[in-house]
Amino acid sequence: MIPLLIANSLALASLLVMMSSGLALIYGLRDVINFGHGALYMLGAYIGYSIANVAGFWVALVVSPALLALVGAALEYLALRPLQRRSHIEVALVTLGLGIILGQALIFIYGGEARTVEAPPSLAGSVTVFRLTYPVYRLFLIGVGLGSCGLLALWLNFTTSGLHIRAVSQDPSVARMMGINSDRLSFLVTSLSAAFAGVAGVLAGPYLSVDPGMDVTMIVSCLIIVVIGGAGSIAGAIVAALLYGFVQVAGSVFLPDLAALAPYALLMVVLLVAPRGIGRGRAPA
Amino acid sequence: MNGEAAARVPVQRDALRAPTARAGWRIGAGAAALLAFGVGAVAPQYVASDFILKLADGGLLLGILALAIACLMSQTGLVTIGAASVYGGVGYFFAIGMTEWDLSPLAAIAVSMVVVILYAAALGALIIRTTPLAFMMLTLAAGEMISHAVLLEGLRDYTSGADGLVVSFQGTLFGLESGDFTNAARFWAIVWTAAWVAGLAAWGVRRSRFGAVLRATRQNEERMRFSGFDTYAPRLAAFVFVNVIAGACGLLHVLNSGFVSPESLGLGVSTNALVAALIGGTATSAGPLVGGLIFAFAQDEFGARGFTQLLTGIAIVLFIVVFPGGVVGALDAFVRGMFRKRQRESD
Amino acid sequence: MLEIEKLSVSYGTVQALQEVDLKIAGAGVLHGVIGPNGAGKSTLLDAVSGRRRPTAGAIRYLGENITRRSVAWRRRRGMARSFQRTNIFQDLTVREQLALVAWRLRDDRVEDVIEVMDLGDYLDEKAGRIAYGVQRRVDVALALIGRPQLLLMDEPGAGLSAEETLRLFEHVRELIRERGIAAVVVEHDVDAVFACCGVVTVLDLGRHLATGAPAEIRADKRVITAYLGSAA
Repeated sequence: MIPLLIANSLALASLLVMMSSGLALIYGLRDVINFGHGALYMLGAYIGYSIANVAGFWVALVVSPALLALVGAALEYLALRPLQRRSHIEVALVTLGLGIILGQALIFIYGGEARTVEAPPSLAGSVTVFRLTYPVYRLFLIGVGLGSCGLLALWLNFTTSGLHIRAVSQDPSVARMMGINSDRLSFLVTSLSAAFAGVAGVLAGPYLSVDPGMDVTMIVSCLIIVVIGGAGSIAGAIVAALLYGFVQVAGSVFLPDLAALAPYALLMVVLLVAPRGIGRGRAPA
Repeated sequence: MNGEAAARVPVQRDALRAPTARAGWRIGAGAAALLAFGVGAVAPQYVASDFILKLADGGLLLGILALAIACLMSQTGLVTIGAASVYGGVGYFFAIGMTEWDLSPLAAIAVSMVVVILYAAALGALIIRTTPLAFMMLTLAAGEMISHAVLLEGLRDYTSGADGLVVSFQGTLFGLESGDFTNAARFWAIVWTAAWVAGLAAWGVRRSRFGAVLRATRQNEERMRFSGFDTYAPRLAAFVFVNVIAGACGLLHVLNSGFVSPESLGLGVSTNALVAALIGGTATSAGPLVGGLIFAFAQDEFGARGFTQLLTGIAIVLFIVVFPGGVVGALDAFVRGMFRKRQRESD
Repeated sequence: MLEIEKLSVSYGTVQALQEVDLKIAGAGVLHGVIGPNGAGKSTLLDAVSGRRRPTAGAIRYLGENITRRSVAWRRRRGMARSFQRTNIFQDLTVREQLALVAWRLRDDRVEDVIEVMDLGDYLDEKAGRIAYGVQRRVDVALALIGRPQLLLMDEPGAGLSAEETLRLFEHVRELIRERGIAAVVVEHDVDAVFACCGVVTVLDLGRHLATGAPAEIRADKRVITAYLGSAA
């Protein structure tokens, strides 16, 4: 029972980690919440669905994120950069509006029913690991999740751009004084974040589903995770994603009626104990 | 003070309050407002159809809720997206109070409002110390929890779950009968009055020292503490204040519609109110009220074709990027621009 | 007036202050605090003003142990602070912010502060729009409202030229003498400190190194080593 619970939590957390780290990066860098992040995920999923129908899952897994990266770049240049001087609430609301528009456009194009995406043959079926019979696809998902965590950690800790991002997230004004070009960083982070959303979207197909409500569900989850994780803390977001995944899965097993509320309860409990979130994130002003 | 006072630059102690206008201007403005109030309360029922009035009733109710949200946003910088849970929740308590606890309508209203105040105080006490984003997410969390609670099997006897409750009362309430609330034309005068009361209350807060403290705290909370201010209590008071407005408005809504359901307190209503506030403009009292009306009529016009959500999204982007002051803000800027132009021409 | 006993402050694994003992004498004395980078000077001010909770030690103000008191409480009791990075209200006019704080601290002689900090010409300007040097004066002015008894200044010369800093220090010295205020000034510009302060404390790597008259400190070998050792 427990190993299954943990495995399922990890699978869900993998998806959430990819999504929320992207959100946390933009938040840490620009102090802006991209409320349209869920819609990007949905876009990645639907594009992935269409491509998969024509060229197969693996092609979709490569092309969708690439296209999403372009969308991310567009978001950066057409929305985030022109509105830099506005208050954070305003920019966040604009991303919300854009997200709603994107979501509605997708519903208009694809209709309101859920779509199914089949896992590719190489990842179909189950395998027995540690006396647990588990779907191969979910193990793949966990692998990708861990991999992306690892890559992110490597990037943030061992490259110049990663260092700059950590610096700006910790203390924006000092970083700017030291000449770090946040515009270029921002462009990189937004495109990357969108690409990650694309990967997550494609991966979500065979695991969850591709349906009209997925943008809302995902953005709410990500927001809760980013808040629990603490502003400017990527590590915090990752821990929070794991926590969230576990609470969500455990909730649906043990308290199915209240499972939908479990994340909210988690949010309230964590913030009561640690008002600034888990991570060490931004230095207090 | 001393002989050198004349050489010093005078600092008014009430420098923070808006400059007091000349008496004549104030009397004139007051009279105009009174006239506008009177005309607005009475005229529409003679000019507009019942259908239009019904839309306007709903629009103005949404506008008052939007005003509550806008007031909190503009004075404290905090965004609440759980306001509908108070707006709808108060309707449930009103209904349950009368049916389950045999309360008179007036007592049920009193109980409901007390519940609102206690709820807002408790929730506010917990969540105000967090960051603005965390605050918003927590209001969402609270709202969703309440939405969910209403649908729980265990409470079905009280809330009738997804079916909702029919609400009506016998006798009179503040001298009015049930029919006065449900009739579209007669309700207009009631909701118009309520809108003016709420609007004046919000205006009063904006102009007061309390409002100034809130706005300064929004700008630089740390410096406020370093200047001896308690930054927590004023914001808590503001949060309770706007929830009281939302609650009162919710009572009007349930009296008017005679019905309360999980939709009344759902996220949809909260976001509609937020969008209405943005459309009208959050800086004034008139803004959100106008925004509510615009939203109601736009929804009727375009909603039928299934485009409400899309238009909501477009409205949000439009009214932040192009018209950040909302409709009222844009009009205000336009009028000021005209004044300035005329002044320049006459120079 | 102010007694700091074995004060320690740590940020996670970094020990910013270690068992610092310090006594600030009474009114009219300008007490400078200097030290190389990372000495813990700002942390000292943060702890005393209430912005940071010390991990160990006690702070006594006017005889009372205030270690657990809030920032606002300390301000209302007359412990005021100005900031290294200008921390004022950008969207309020100078007049508005001074009046707001004056209301809270029940000060009806704001004109004095305005004159002393020479802000008369800027009263109706939005603080965000005025020159940086003037903004810094507003920062100090906000701290002067309410007739504080202890003034804590965090690098008031930051961003100013050497000459401007010296002038500011002379001004502050004059001010605290007139009003009987005690003042602790953390500063990088050692010359200004030695020129204007009655007492100088040197911190190094979170520890108290020396306290004394400027001449003594200047000649103290340990102080010289501390500074030379850290100069790249």
